[in-house]
Amino acid sequence: MSFSPESNFYIQGIGAISPLGPDAEGTWKALCEGKQAPRIQFANPVSDRNYYYCPVPKTFLSETANQRRLRRSGTVSLNGAAAAFNAIHDAGIKEGLGRTLAVIFAICSGGVNYTRRLYHEIVTEGAAAASPLLFPETVFNAPASHMAAMVNCDEHTYTLVGDSSVGLSAVQFAVELLTVNPSLEHCLLVGAEEGDWLLADAFNSWRYASTHENFEVYGRETGTLFGEGGSAVVIGRHGAIRLANHGPGASFFSKMDAFRVARGAIIPVIQSFQPEVILGSANGTFTDKVEHAVFTEAGVNCPVYCHKPALGEALGASALQQIVFACLMLKNAQIPPTLSAGSLLPTVNTEMRSMPMRRALVTTIGFNQQVNTVALERVCDKPH
Amino acid sequence: MDGRKEMTMTFDVRKHRVFVTGAGVISPLGRTLQENLDSLRLGEDRVSEVTAFDISQTRCKTAGQIPISWLDSVVKRSRYAARLHRSSQMMIAALTETLRTAGEVKPEMMVVASSAGGMSHGELYYRSLQNSKNSNGYSRRHHAGLVASYMPQKPILDAQSALGIKVPFYLVSNACSSGSNAIGHAFELVRAGLRDRVVCGGYDALSELVFVGFDSLQAATPERIRPFDRDRSGLVLGEGAGLLFLESEKSAIQRKAAVLAEVVGYGVSTDTSHMTQPHPSGIGPRLAMSRALESSGLRPEQISYVNAHGTATVFNDATEGIAISELLNRVPVSSTKSMMGHALGGAGAIEAVFGILSLMHQFMPPNINFREPDPTWTFEVVANQSRSAKLDCLISNSFGFGGSNASLALQRV
Repeated sequence: MSFSPESNFYIQGIGAISPLGPDAEGTWKALCEGKQAPRIQFANPVSDRNYYYCPVPKTFLSETANQRRLRRSGTVSLNGAAAAFNAIHDAGIKEGLGRTLAVIFAICSGGVNYTRRLYHEIVTEGAAAASPLLFPETVFNAPASHMAAMVNCDEHTYTLVGDSSVGLSAVQFAVELLTVNPSLEHCLLVGAEEGDWLLADAFNSWRYASTHENFEVYGRETGTLFGEGGSAVVIGRHGAIRLANHGPGASFFSKMDAFRVARGAIIPVIQSFQPEVILGSANGTFTDKVEHAVFTEAGVNCPVYCHKPALGEALGASALQQIVFACLMLKNAQIPPTLSAGSLLPTVNTEMRSMPMRRALVTTIGFNQQVNTVALERVCDKPH
Repeated sequence: MDGRKEMTMTFDVRKHRVFVTGAGVISPLGRTLQENLDSLRLGEDRVSEVTAFDISQTRCKTAGQIPISWLDSVVKRSRYAARLHRSSQMMIAALTETLRTAGEVKPEMMVVASSAGGMSHGELYYRSLQNSKNSNGYSRRHHAGLVASYMPQKPILDAQSALGIKVPFYLVSNACSSGSNAIGHAFELVRAGLRDRVVCGGYDALSELVFVGFDSLQAATPERIRPFDRDRSGLVLGEGAGLLFLESEKSAIQRKAAVLAEVVGYGVSTDTSHMTQPHPSGIGPRLAMSRALESSGLRPEQISYVNAHGTATVFNDATEGIAISELLNRVPVSSTKSMMGHALGGAGAIEAVFGILSLMHQFMPPNINFREPDPTWTFEVVANQSRSAKLDCLISNSFGFGGSNASLALQRV
């Protein structure tokens, strides 16, 4: 087991941008009030299959979009930058830290808007029409590069790609970087996602995306609805919320295999850590049943919260969103209501609850075969 | 959980020597370590006209391509095999050879790089949407399997599944430096004692979007690729996969593993001056190389050869050339991209494998198509023919879009 009472890594700052708020606090307030992000239909270029999603309002991004470095960048970079600046501010660290700050970006789909636009031009008009301005923004590490430039990070910049678990892999990666580089003081972890019809249609071909405006979690397997957003955390060597358990995660090769792998990865952590609240990753797909079965077998009787019915499934941003909300739960002693909860899991928290807590567990089971957990412990009463 | 070690601030991060005890590679130069070694020694030119997609509107017409017949022989013919992406086939080939040369021992984890992932299946998917419209002008349902293969982590899962291993992994995507970043991170984990056995490296397969993208930037050349030549005119793309089995000295000794070489240093830098061009001073490459030296404890004069990033673009070679000249003065340099093109996220890993072959067999691979040296630089290009040499330590460079720079220091054992 990897519970380490002397683990020396802490959450120092949190940030977010979401369809419900321009920052972490604004989003949190809306979640606590039981608000649901507005649903909008994607513009649909080629098909009669329509999907809803939860976009981040453009007004939330106006300040970030004014950054010179981001003038040509896509939504994924903008969402990431907005969340990152929020987290840096929350951590109280100065920008321009050079070798003492690492930037790690967690990405799932990447710059899917620009990638589709660029390829659409190639398919419909030929290679000669391809834009040299769009191409660099299609690269997975474009958002990380912009972020590094804006905070003057001149050494460690990494982009990790995965499914909705990738944010938790990034936590482990950050801890490893801090461990092997004693001169590093902080790791800025950023997850971001943008919406696109193509993404929803692709996932719909696997029955993972719904054509409806809502979806249930821990209930009927209707498919999910996508959300945009950004989430960020700063990890360092001191702070009020300790990373009590973290790892690179585990992977499964098929849906049949998912329960066995998730069971092996999650149950020992639940049993050893004894969380007082769990932030699950249910999103209306097969992963809900897996998570439910794991929680049931582990005998979970603490409240379980899931933010995805309120904000949508934000893939690359979602695991770090869970960490941000876990920190806010520990800080504010509140658990927001899970919207649209099905009947599978009786411990799902469906009403606003005030409850002092010290231990929160984040679990993720991704579409693309990755499972992970991060355990957080409040170690002093004055976070950040 | 899953064997991970306690992490505290106080331990010695340079505690363990890091041995390469296995390696595998598939590239346009060959299907195996031996075939790649033979091609490197002969200075084979494996750049040819692109056949996978339409190139009628692009300036550049060529790339280093792995023949389909090589990939088809990787996995036994079946419905499952038919669905595999080229990248998955490459990863299966490279992982099979890596585990075989390592003595069939299982790694604790994998750190793998890719820049484009399964882009060509994404392209096929989008084309099928565009081309399958019904009478109302709307596209019909399309192939769901293509979506799964688009994910860059899929080839890792496919390779693990094919070889019956299931270990955690990271997928690093730092553009063209990704492969070296993946090896560098794995090296640091083993050196610090956090892991004993890690498979690391990278892959990338040729895709139309990326090919056209580089063409649109006018970074790709319609001529031959001529790294470090005074008249260089740009890169050509390539593809392939390369993997290393990194192992702590303790673990290698314990199981009496054959050691191929040693990884001794890793340096990274982020040059934030421009999205697609390096800072003209060469500060990015210079910092990466000097940090790799610092990490290894080697002095510049101990470096006997540099396997350069050497894309043959005007900007890359200018800045890398300045950095090598300033830091390593008259060291011999070659870019193996001259023979097989630029494999993007796989390049750093493939070139690290080439570096290990160079150390094991004591030779420097050639920089082919070379005509005229650029008088700006002091180093010596290993021009057109491979050369026998006493190599103790070398540096392998990889630099990418977004200013991501990585250098590895490798040593003979």
